[in-house]
Amino acid sequence: MEAVKEKAIKKVKKRITVSGVITKILFYLLLAVLCLIFLFPVWWMVVNSLKPQDVIYRDMSSALTFLPTTSPAHWFDSYIQLFSIFSQFGRSIFNSVLYAALSITGVLVLNSLAGYALARFTFPGHNVLVTIIILILIVPVETSLVPQYVILKSLGLLNVRLLGYILPGLISPFNIFMFRSYFLGIPKELEEAAYIDGCGRLRSFFRIIIPCSLPVFATVGIFTFMGSWNEYVFAQLMFAGNPSMMPLQTYLQIINNFQPQDLSLVLASLTLSTIPIAIVYIFCQRWIIEGVAFSGLK
Amino acid sequence: MGNTEMENQEIQDKQLGEAPADGPEEKPAKVRKAYFKLFGRSYNIAETKVGIAFFLPALILGSLFVIAPMVISLGYAFTDANLLKLNNVHFVGFKQFELLFKDRVVWTAFGNSLEFVVKVVPLQLCASLGLALILNTKIRGNTFFRWAFFVPVMLSLAVTSFLWMNLLNEHDGLINTILEAIGIGRQKFLKDPHQALDVIVFISAWQGAGYQMLIFLSALKNIPGDIYEAATLDGANKVQTFWYITLPSIKETFSFVLVTMLIGAFRLITQPMIMTKGGPINSTMTMSYYIYKQGLEYRDVGFSSAIAFFYTIVMATVALTIRKLLGTDNTK
Repeated sequence: MEAVKEKAIKKVKKRITVSGVITKILFYLLLAVLCLIFLFPVWWMVVNSLKPQDVIYRDMSSALTFLPTTSPAHWFDSYIQLFSIFSQFGRSIFNSVLYAALSITGVLVLNSLAGYALARFTFPGHNVLVTIIILILIVPVETSLVPQYVILKSLGLLNVRLLGYILPGLISPFNIFMFRSYFLGIPKELEEAAYIDGCGRLRSFFRIIIPCSLPVFATVGIFTFMGSWNEYVFAQLMFAGNPSMMPLQTYLQIINNFQPQDLSLVLASLTLSTIPIAIVYIFCQRWIIEGVAFSGLK
Repeated sequence: MGNTEMENQEIQDKQLGEAPADGPEEKPAKVRKAYFKLFGRSYNIAETKVGIAFFLPALILGSLFVIAPMVISLGYAFTDANLLKLNNVHFVGFKQFELLFKDRVVWTAFGNSLEFVVKVVPLQLCASLGLALILNTKIRGNTFFRWAFFVPVMLSLAVTSFLWMNLLNEHDGLINTILEAIGIGRQKFLKDPHQALDVIVFISAWQGAGYQMLIFLSALKNIPGDIYEAATLDGANKVQTFWYITLPSIKETFSFVLVTMLIGAFRLITQPMIMTKGGPINSTMTMSYYIYKQGLEYRDVGFSSAIAFFYTIVMATVALTIRKLLGTDNTK
């Protein structure tokens, strides 16, 4: 019966009418326009990063501005120049990678342990902690930067900029909560068997819990990477006078504001700094969607 | 699911096999014996030790950099704290709040932040939900379109800002070159106090919509198809199915997206910081940016904290009201 019904519905839907065709054309036209709006700036950025500045401005008044030049051999000249003119640019890429690696490691270890403590052990203050975390999650607070800077200053961490930059971002109530929710879903019996066999708590956490919860580690890790790689305001605050420690995102500002500005180098640096994030999105889309769904619906 | 269970079993088996290698220092028999009482509740000593040990690093860092900033900021709001003279702080009562109500820039910034929220949230919400609805139908090139709309999300806020700054340059930017060619004429965009905030609204929605589109899309995919068939058979048109089936089915997601979008919009700072420095004539000065400026550029930590205190109350009220209205609590 169901199958017959479905076929009947499909037949009704498939009947071709003039108004149907027009709607379809208009629909695809709309899609094309939307696509153009979303894509053209990025396309233009990538294509023009492959041209020298005078060609960028020469092409701008024609459709050529959306096409690369016909000499692929010179496409990457601006990228090579970028590294030679701005000697700290390579260093800033290294800094970004370093900061991201430190953040990811710290975030994963500290928040997962805390989440595990809240998921598995009852200790005095346990319920208070859970309530505080939920409160921080629900109530948006606009405080972070200024008082954080004050605290870093009074701890003397402005002299150890690397620590001062990494430490404040390591603990996130959101991540603790996410780990806790995930660990609550793992049956307790798994670890209990291990305790009975003499496996320590920390050991069973690393040997049993972590292998069971790779999805949540992947999600938190990916989001931490993106947050760290894209951070601008705090990095600007910490490293404004210190280009050799700047991560890529803030170094972009030096390239963009350099006088006389070379648009070709600016676009090359913008493109280059987007590539890692693009790679993460392309290869980790599944984790990202799962993480978003998990955080949004739980 | 079955697969992971199998893996778990294997891991467990491995653990069982390796157990003797763990050595004698672990004494499992003691694990759940000793208890102590606190405030009428009993706690297992071993559990308490391990639990606290695991939570301690997070507790220290979290207290320093998550909790303490909130408390400190609250306290500083009632003092004359200056970033350069933090040893010499005086309690001044509500003086900072009096100044706040007299300060014109605060109200300009507050107005700008509200205007930004009121414009960007509906725009981005409609765009992302609209795109998700389009992509949820069986159209040709679905994957291509999904990636196309998602591309701006891959740009960081800094990259987005620098890119659009150059695109919108009032002298030789691409957009103005095109506008001139089709006869509309050059616009000042970010240099025009009447246009700058709207430009930032557009850029923010352009950059962010693809992300929420993806969230909506995964929610839409979870709605069982037969509900729609039943509705179609009952003679419901497309608008009706959207209002009575689609929207209620994705209510949770909708509320989550709305609240996160709202809070994000309230916190706008990166784009004006890079593109306009709050100008021209404070037309893109937002609350977050002004709090930052007062505290870290003008070093008036007391005043900055008072603004932050005031703004937190506004943000929290709005966010909690919306949660209540939509009747969902995302954290439980």
